[in-house]
Amino acid sequence: MSQWLAKVIDVAQENQDFLAPVRQQAISKLQQAGWPSQRAEQWRFTPLAPVKDRTFNQTQTDENVSVPEIAGLDSIDIIFTNGVLTTSLADLALPEGLRIVSFAQANAQQQADIKTMFGRVKPEAHVFGQVNDALSQHGVMIDVADNANISPVVRLINLTSADSDNHTRTLVKLGHNAKAKVMELGQGEHDSMNTAVAEYAIGDNASLEHYRFAFYTANAKAVGGSHFKLGEAAKLNSTVVGYGSQLSRLDIDIWHAAENAFAKLNAIYLLAEGELFDLHTCIEHAKPHGTSEENARGIIGDGARAVFNGRIHIHRDAQKTLAEMNNRNLLLSRRALVNTKPELEIYADDVKCAHGATVAEIEGNELFYLLSRGISRQRAMVMLNFGFIQELVNDIPSKAVASWLQPKLTERFAQMEVK
Amino acid sequence: MLSIKNLHASVDEKDIIRGLNLEVKPGEVHAIMGPNGAGKSTLGYVLSGREGYEVSQGEARFNGKDLMEMEVEERAREGMFLAFQYPVEIPGVSNMEFMKESVNAIREQRGEETLTAAEFLKKAKEACKQVQLPLDFLKRGVNEGFSGGEKKRNEIMQMILLEPSLCILDESDSGLDVDALQVVADGVNSQRDGKRSFIVVTHYQRLLDYIKPDFVHILAEGQIVKSGDASLALEVEKSGYAFLGKKYEGETA
Repeated sequence: MSQWLAKVIDVAQENQDFLAPVRQQAISKLQQAGWPSQRAEQWRFTPLAPVKDRTFNQTQTDENVSVPEIAGLDSIDIIFTNGVLTTSLADLALPEGLRIVSFAQANAQQQADIKTMFGRVKPEAHVFGQVNDALSQHGVMIDVADNANISPVVRLINLTSADSDNHTRTLVKLGHNAKAKVMELGQGEHDSMNTAVAEYAIGDNASLEHYRFAFYTANAKAVGGSHFKLGEAAKLNSTVVGYGSQLSRLDIDIWHAAENAFAKLNAIYLLAEGELFDLHTCIEHAKPHGTSEENARGIIGDGARAVFNGRIHIHRDAQKTLAEMNNRNLLLSRRALVNTKPELEIYADDVKCAHGATVAEIEGNELFYLLSRGISRQRAMVMLNFGFIQELVNDIPSKAVASWLQPKLTERFAQMEVK
Repeated sequence: MLSIKNLHASVDEKDIIRGLNLEVKPGEVHAIMGPNGAGKSTLGYVLSGREGYEVSQGEARFNGKDLMEMEVEERAREGMFLAFQYPVEIPGVSNMEFMKESVNAIREQRGEETLTAAEFLKKAKEACKQVQLPLDFLKRGVNEGFSGGEKKRNEIMQMILLEPSLCILDESDSGLDVDALQVVADGVNSQRDGKRSFIVVTHYQRLLDYIKPDFVHILAEGQIVKSGDASLALEVEKSGYAFLGKKYEGETA
């Protein structure tokens, strides 16, 4: 058993709130399964050693952390500092059709709603999802009414300013025909452990624009997830950006639970020296006529390691599914590493499913064109590879978000020396 | 400036250039004409150093240096420029960023100061106007979604910005209407300064009405079979490539 997990269980058992029964289930599972073995497929390439015996740090708040501003973006900000919800939700001016309530302040009806959704979208198997189930005292439920079109972006911001344990939870429910935009942003470089989990239930014909930015670096440890359930003809457009840290892992699960749903997932990761980033995605096509488009592209610096595991599961009933997945990687040195693995399970016979993974492969024509203009081979490789990341940046639906992200990525990329 | 002696080159083990000789002096404009499959585009690729184009015999010297000993980017920095027949589209890399990188690589080689973003933008805007492309083409991905004519003009814009000493134009006229052809030709002519040399590769004589060559060479089956002045091009236009042999009958120029 890990010392950290033992403490997690102790702390969780002290907390008694209205979610206690479901938290207890998670605790039991953690007790039974124990610490994941490195031989477990889920953790094969991602050593959990940095977390295993770390000291559990009770959350402490801090008012002096600065919130990342995105110029030109109309947003509603919900801030967690070192795992503590610090935004006074009552003071937020919310548009009609949008309700946000914290777990701590939910009334009886709201508690019932939270219980209906908590843990119902996220797959049970995620170990750190169970940790989050057990510990997520600080959480919010966001409810978008039927037919509401919410134009500001709801930002869920996890800031860390100290060694801390941060286990925040978000539940988002979009009613029929609703439209909303949600951004999850986590950042920090302290010796923190972050398991932020968000569960989304997107109603029939509803549409969600989603962002998850895992800007954890240095000593930060983050193992979190965003999990989506799509109703009939629901639409999801998600952009994920990850930096690497001592341990940074993100699980994205997209569940086509009804017909004709559409999901697009673009993921970018940029890893500097010595960092690790692991992206596990799973698209469950459970019903017919669903579409999924996934593009994950990363650049891996000297001594850094990326893991990409892309699972597509097409169930027997999910005829006429269109599923595409592509992963491209550039290694900037011989000491850079990527483990990329597509995992396809297809049980329906009338589907189109395409996947591809490449490592540092540049089209010869493109390279020759740049070289013939006097650009060095090394620089040309960098431009072409940053170019394919640029394509995903250009694909971001919000101009304000793209303009904010662009220089951040360029700056990070500049720190990643080509060797 | 460029001296090619008995050059033999192959692609996929197929001999394309078979004993080619050519001398280009500063300020000269050489037109290379020839029927399809003569090796016209291959010559441009061999000179610029494209991978897969093997030189088996002979030599090519550029400013006295052995070209075959130089990497692709070194040839460009030495002052060679190839205007592509089919410029590649590179989504995600902006035209502006690409050209700035390129111009600065070449300036560095020449021992000149690199340009700041603002300095480069000024030059790029002028060049863009000169080839009559809208300014937003600078922001777009390299050649991304450009029409055939726009791609050719983009090549000429790069040529203007890079100030090469030897320009190889590979069928820069193909697929252009008369107006676009005029723009391309004006761009090229604006760069003729008595020192800069040009090799204009073309199937058709038409381009040579706009860019007047000092010499015209007919390339067939990997060799220059006939050389002359501008009047040779007119001759070929009148009678086609039939004089090269029976298999070229009916191929016009």
